[in-house]
Amino acid sequence: MSDYGHDLLFGTFITPTNAAPHRVVALAQETEAAGLDLVTFQDHPYQAGFLDTWTLLSYVAARTERVHLSGNVVNLPLRPPAVLARAAASLDLLSGGRFELGIGAGGFWDAIEAMGGRRLSPGQAVDALSEAIDIVRGIWDADDKSRFRVDGAYYQVAGAKRGPAPAHDIGIWLGAYKPKMLRLTGAKADGWLPSLPYLDLSRLAEDNAIIDEAAQEAGREPAAVRRMLNVAGQFGTAGDRLLSGPPGVWAEQLAALTLEYGFSTYIVMADDPATIATFGAEVAPATRELVAKERAARATVPGTV
Amino acid sequence: MDYGHPLRFGASLTARDGALGPAAELAELSEELGYDLVTFSSGPEPADTWTLMSWTAARTGRVRLLAAHAAEMNPAVTARAAASLDLLAKGRAELVLAGRPSDGEALGEAIEIVRGMWAAADRSPLSYNGEHHKVAGAERGPAPAHTIPVWIDGADPALLRLAGRRADGWLAPPVTDAAGVGGLAMAQAAIDAAAAERGRDPREINRLARIAGRFTSDPGGFLTGPPGTWVADLLPLVTDHGFAMFVLAGDDPETLRRFALEVVPALRAAVADARRERGVTESAPGRSALVRSKRREGIDYDAVPASLSATAVEPGDAGYARVRSTYLRGGAPGLVLRPGTPAEVADAIRFASSQPVQLGIRSGGHGISGRSTNHGGIVIDVSRLHAIEVLDKDTRRVRIGPGARWSDVAEALAPHGWALSSGDYGGVGVGGLATAGGIGWLVRKHGLTLDHLCAVEMVLADGSLVRADEHENAELFWGVRGAGGNFGVVTSFEFEVDEVGDVGFAQFVFDATDMAGFLQRWGAAMEAAPRDLTSSIIMGRPRPGQPHVAQLMAVVDSDDGQTIIDRLQPIAAIAPLLDYSIQVLPYAAIMHVPPGTHDAQGEPVTRAALADHLTPELSAAAERLVGAGLTYFFQIRSVGGAASDVPPEATAYAGRSANFQLVAMGHSRRALDPAWDAMLPHFSGQYINFETDRRPERVREAYPGDTLRRLRALKRRYDPGNVFRDNFNIDPAEEDAVPATI
Repeated sequence: MSDYGHDLLFGTFITPTNAAPHRVVALAQETEAAGLDLVTFQDHPYQAGFLDTWTLLSYVAARTERVHLSGNVVNLPLRPPAVLARAAASLDLLSGGRFELGIGAGGFWDAIEAMGGRRLSPGQAVDALSEAIDIVRGIWDADDKSRFRVDGAYYQVAGAKRGPAPAHDIGIWLGAYKPKMLRLTGAKADGWLPSLPYLDLSRLAEDNAIIDEAAQEAGREPAAVRRMLNVAGQFGTAGDRLLSGPPGVWAEQLAALTLEYGFSTYIVMADDPATIATFGAEVAPATRELVAKERAARATVPGTV
Repeated sequence: MDYGHPLRFGASLTARDGALGPAAELAELSEELGYDLVTFSSGPEPADTWTLMSWTAARTGRVRLLAAHAAEMNPAVTARAAASLDLLAKGRAELVLAGRPSDGEALGEAIEIVRGMWAAADRSPLSYNGEHHKVAGAERGPAPAHTIPVWIDGADPALLRLAGRRADGWLAPPVTDAAGVGGLAMAQAAIDAAAAERGRDPREINRLARIAGRFTSDPGGFLTGPPGTWVADLLPLVTDHGFAMFVLAGDDPETLRRFALEVVPALRAAVADARRERGVTESAPGRSALVRSKRREGIDYDAVPASLSATAVEPGDAGYARVRSTYLRGGAPGLVLRPGTPAEVADAIRFASSQPVQLGIRSGGHGISGRSTNHGGIVIDVSRLHAIEVLDKDTRRVRIGPGARWSDVAEALAPHGWALSSGDYGGVGVGGLATAGGIGWLVRKHGLTLDHLCAVEMVLADGSLVRADEHENAELFWGVRGAGGNFGVVTSFEFEVDEVGDVGFAQFVFDATDMAGFLQRWGAAMEAAPRDLTSSIIMGRPRPGQPHVAQLMAVVDSDDGQTIIDRLQPIAAIAPLLDYSIQVLPYAAIMHVPPGTHDAQGEPVTRAALADHLTPELSAAAERLVGAGLTYFFQIRSVGGAASDVPPEATAYAGRSANFQLVAMGHSRRALDPAWDAMLPHFSGQYINFETDRRPERVREAYPGDTLRRLRALKRRYDPGNVFRDNFNIDPAEEDAVPATI
């Protein structure tokens, strides 16, 4: 049982369909109107049916005021890390510190290669991601006036000027499932962002332990890594599956995930305003209340992340 | 050298010191000041200008966005990013490709890949094996909202050659003094020579000059002085050096303001004078040779009216993939005209009627009988005429454009507690349905969609715009209600809509093994049912070893649970129920369909009919049809009720006695037609929107006796040349046995 004591955040995972671009933007605005904290879009640049996630994120940032934004998760193999770092900082500056950087190592290698990207093995892809995180942080470090050089196995930076510095400490979140990627998450990331449908619940404690251990080895507190979760479900009459039932059932199940496994951010896959509204108006407050009550009982020390 | 392009002005803005907000604000100011375009460069502190441009797209509504993607990005990703920006910005994106001097070859490859990705009308995957860039079987698309111009930024000889050969525009390096102007002349000549080598007209290529200057009270050098100095310095750039676009750098709001207010109008006037003197006619760069190479025979593209040219889509245009096909029909029209006003509809009809090719009229693109796409012909797409407005709350009178979709209509009426029974699917467009019938979820209670029609405004075959209602052009108004597609293009409908609250929506799955009995019992139950119940059934091909199932959908126009149950009970009892769901929903929720585009292939094969009763004979024949596997989608909708209150001669929709409407979709006309023809004795009429058989008997089924005679007389009066013919056509030349008397 591990609750890292983070405050709870709630968001949406909206399909970036390009057939109706302004409906996608409207769903992001509904997310903000529903009082939710975060709007996210998947990033599959090889998918012809989607809007370019970066362009969309920037557009949506300009049409919202409060909500934070992230790719869920950005496809590293088709987005060079130095460009990604500058783009992320630029968006953070424009949006007043509302951008967060979810990154994935890539997985659909046939499609990546079809687009002209480089095919890597899963192990290489994690190593490349590790290099990329260093490059991203190096670019953001605008106080360091030295030219930025990296001669990595996967990425090279040839004496670039650093900057811009983002407006706030952009969180780097990784979509991780396998031990190597979980270790990278613990060592270098600010958030772990898997999707519930792909997770083996029986392994959750073990996954958290891998992250915790890697964090400690890197001299970090385990609580430095926020545990986040993409979730899908249905509102309606209660069913056997997780998150299938009235909002109260969702709240109980999400609160349990927080108290048992330390998750503190829930991102709902939702492409309709009704789900977004219910998640914001009913699930989020009820979950917060349940967690606060239980934490008070346990007297958990709130984390700072 | 003056290519005669219209003058355009822009602001070139810099992200300074890592502060992007001020640049974004200047972009908004530039739009307010009337500038035509904005472009960004990163200052000494690197920043991502694509992000800045995407942000700006959301904060502006008119300016064109000259956007450069990071040079390190993969060109296939760049193509999708640019298409996305264009879709979000509704067709305002232009793509700048910049590179180091040595990058000419790499940029040339990038252009090929970018354009290849945009060519979504081509269904083959994109492969490109270049020296610098490779694509290995990428899915193409999305198509941008418009054909995005590609600009080359740079003055290296290789880049100038590339601009001349392949680009839509060239960004010249900053012009800093009069001497620099001379160097530009050589660059222009290099571009023109490269264009000529490729058989391109040099006028296809836009030329943009970056300028910067200061307003001072006394002249002090190039672009330094009062507005008159600026005009004098810039005029030769237009008249002698081929520039018609200028972007002003400097990031100074006051300079931007003075330039817009004091230099731009004076320069426009000076250029107009000079062009008049020299006999230079002004015209925007037309479509490129690349786009023109995809044009089809038989259409005089150069004669497309100026009002329609910019929004028209032709096969070489990037947006073609989105407009070529419809919901059920693949097509490859030679030209899609997209008028945005009734006057533009008139322009479109006048133009189209002079062209010897097919003509389709498209509202939502769901037409089955109405051919709203074709091969090599013209389509007039009225989707931009989609306004929905309330005219009078007391009488619930609303005005709706033909390009609105019924989903949008339902959503717009819902806040008033109103609804207008339409079809059973919200993705259908208003125009094609409201001129033909409209058998929807509330038809038995509230009648056909066209029964709610009070007036139309429409453009006739000769391009004239008329109003038709019970008093004005009353005979035309009669004909529009059931045969509207034959007489013109309706540009707005006025309906009186109904008060409708939440409704009961049921979905049942029945075991219909005893199909004939099932149909008879359902038919009898529907005829006996109160009018607030409307339902339809759908059956597919039989599956070996499984019971034959029928899906039923029903709407009860009541939010009262007991009423809903009372209405559904007799229906539920007609056969063994395998599954069901019943919900109370807003009518708009049943109609809700997110907007999207169509991309069907092939040609639908359907037959349709109206029937008064599901007699034992008809039910048995239907069982044989479905049982033989000749239709993969067989639907019967209940009608009757309020639709039968209207006398058959009151509108051109004559099938008032029918309690049922039938449609069968098949794969093979040769297989479906004989089977359906054998069922004809059981039918009482025709519902034109679902019938694809083109034999003339179908027209006589839909418009029996006097109805056809009246329609023929109307057709001869309003469309004697048969401009509107790719529909359920009433041929003006055909003779009726007994002439109509009107």
